Amino acid sequence: MIVVLGLAVVGTPGATAGDEQDRPVLRVGTEGTYPPFSYEDGGDLTGYDIDVMKAVADEAGFDVEFVEAPFDALFPALDSKRIDVIANQVTINDEREARYLFTEPYTFSRGVIVTATDTDDITTLDDIEGKVAAQSETSNWAQVARDAGAEVQSVEGFAQAAELLVQGRVDVVVNDNIAVLDYLASTGSTEIEIKGQVDDEISKQALVFRQADGDLRDRADAALKKLAADGTLAEISEGYFKADVSVEDGGDVEVEGSGGGRSTWEVLQDTAGPMLVGVLKGTIPLTIISFVAGLAIALGVALARMSSVKALRLPARFYISLIRGTPLLVQLFVIFYGLPQIGIKLPGFPAACLALSLNVGGYAAEIIRGSILSVPRGQFEAATTIGMPYRQLMRRIVLPQAARIAVPPLSNTLLSLVKDTSLVSVVLVTEVLREADKAASLTGEFLPLYCLSALYFWVICFALSIGQDKLEKKLGRYAV
Amino acid sequence: MSTTGHLIEVEGLRKSFGDTAVLEDVGFTASSGTCTVLLGPSGSGKTTVLRSLNVLETPDAGVVRIGEAAVDFGELPRDKGLRRKEIRDLRARSGMVFQSHNLFPHKTVLGNIVEGPVQVQGQSPEEAEAEARRLLEQVGLAGRETAYPAQLSGGQQQRVGIARALALKPDVVLLDEPTSALDPELVGEVLAVIRDLSQQGWTMVIVTHEVRFAQDVADQVLFLHSGVVAERGGAEVLTDPQQERTQQFLRRVLEAR
Repeated sequence: MIVVLGLAVVGTPGATAGDEQDRPVLRVGTEGTYPPFSYEDGGDLTGYDIDVMKAVADEAGFDVEFVEAPFDALFPALDSKRIDVIANQVTINDEREARYLFTEPYTFSRGVIVTATDTDDITTLDDIEGKVAAQSETSNWAQVARDAGAEVQSVEGFAQAAELLVQGRVDVVVNDNIAVLDYLASTGSTEIEIKGQVDDEISKQALVFRQADGDLRDRADAALKKLAADGTLAEISEGYFKADVSVEDGGDVEVEGSGGGRSTWEVLQDTAGPMLVGVLKGTIPLTIISFVAGLAIALGVALARMSSVKALRLPARFYISLIRGTPLLVQLFVIFYGLPQIGIKLPGFPAACLALSLNVGGYAAEIIRGSILSVPRGQFEAATTIGMPYRQLMRRIVLPQAARIAVPPLSNTLLSLVKDTSLVSVVLVTEVLREADKAASLTGEFLPLYCLSALYFWVICFALSIGQDKLEKKLGRYAV
Repeated sequence: MSTTGHLIEVEGLRKSFGDTAVLEDVGFTASSGTCTVLLGPSGSGKTTVLRSLNVLETPDAGVVRIGEAAVDFGELPRDKGLRRKEIRDLRARSGMVFQSHNLFPHKTVLGNIVEGPVQVQGQSPEEAEAEARRLLEQVGLAGRETAYPAQLSGGQQQRVGIARALALKPDVVLLDEPTSALDPELVGEVLAVIRDLSQQGWTMVIVTHEVRFAQDVADQVLFLHSGVVAERGGAEVLTDPQQERTQQFLRRVLEAR
């Protein structure tokens, strides 16, 4: 498995922006959960930023490939060259300008201060000092809130921030006025409202490139200027906001709400399909590949751990200790965002498989070792006296008996793995929970959508536990 | 070691665990077709001697030869591969019957018996199965081919264990207290099978406490005490022991019956 993944690294065709081709393929990072700028409508990615990006690509002669990820994953993805540009209402500020290249702005907007309806002591930025604000950790608005003295609680996106406000878990959210208006229109919520403006300053949002990609930025910039001049940007903006947000004074924004006033039942019906796709394309293949590869790793490590050779035993112990002693999330981050810095870059899916396999390997190794040790000494001796060498003895006599002992604890590992796959959205892999998040960001229907995703997980795990029973019966048929 | 016409030659076996000597200079010979009985109180080293014959225990010094295969434990080859080969060759000369049978629980009766011949000796499954059925008949278990060990009584399990050892067509059959773990009413059927083997001319080395049975089958008796052979002779050792330690031991064993 590791070898295969290793080859994948070497063999990944360069979709990199550095290529001096006529039509470079640009991988565009975007949230997909930030209506009306970047969201999914009936499974298709759409929104103001998406349309602008497509228009820029047409004009500049790029091919684009959208990569969806939570906001806080976008800059790390840009840094690790997993994406080439971010189209997600990234506000231009000094810190970012020092590290990245911005195009001309394509959105002019105002920050607003949002609180629960019954909160009446927060109307300006000065009021949020000492309050708790829910923000995407790395967003410009988080920095604004922090600078104003608020304590920032990190969330995945605006919809979750709004939900925390409704629940009274946080005091305030600072965000772009258009996104807030869209949320209010989509959900019809009267529980939160806009209480004030951030300040008089207009914030500007633009496309972001890496420092090294000056020529790409210049091409995008030229395209944006042309689209602004020929009225294309204004047209896109009018379509979404009935106003031109691509210039400073484009009129008052009016939004209908991207969520489209669906009932809870309709939301669930619309989301069940994409979630099932998330199960079939994400959860299930991730689980199968990682479990099979993980067991292979575990068997090797367990045997090494029991070896009489110290040079095998010590690394095996270290590996097990490392895997069991660090959070899976950290392992995912190290492999996905960390390794590219030393030149090992895996795409999201293989990276997720590698992290999950290594994780399963560490836990299952100890299970397998324990199971082998619990096979009676006499079985080793009997196999030895009929002349079996070590490998044959293991394969034909010891492991089949150890397997029976290992099935219940390994089933636990498998079920944990199924559920751990819900973590991989942080490495840009889409699975069930990510689909639920996307739908919830449009509609605010957290409870039904999360329950539905829980149902999917439960059904998978239930089916697996039936399989476990059958396997135990089959392996245990000789024990009367 | 010179060839003396004996099938088994054991010389100068020594073994100690830490400061405790388990075997001190144990040696014996046995001719083809004979039955050697190892007797002695627990801790006397008799099982260690038996397990040295197929290198389940590795003595610190001494030589074991069975037929053409010999291992000199005092001068094992340095090369790991060579060492393994010597030991494997010696092991291939014997079959072992364990006190607690050690049948493979995940294989059927037939599967247990053909495992060695097919997987190790490379016999064809058909050939090995035919032989296995013949052996099962010999030990009185025809018809139980497809049973799993857990479905058999202790005596039946031990008889399968004997068939498994014989299937390898070894030069020597080693039996380590083959009836000690059995309920008393099952001992007879197993002893009857072993007696049968002796009459068929199998060469056997047995560790047992069944003195009366030993009288029937033994061509040679070794009485071990504290890691040395305290007395040796024919079956008459059991009825007319010369050493006091042997007399004491036999008295205790016979009284316990």
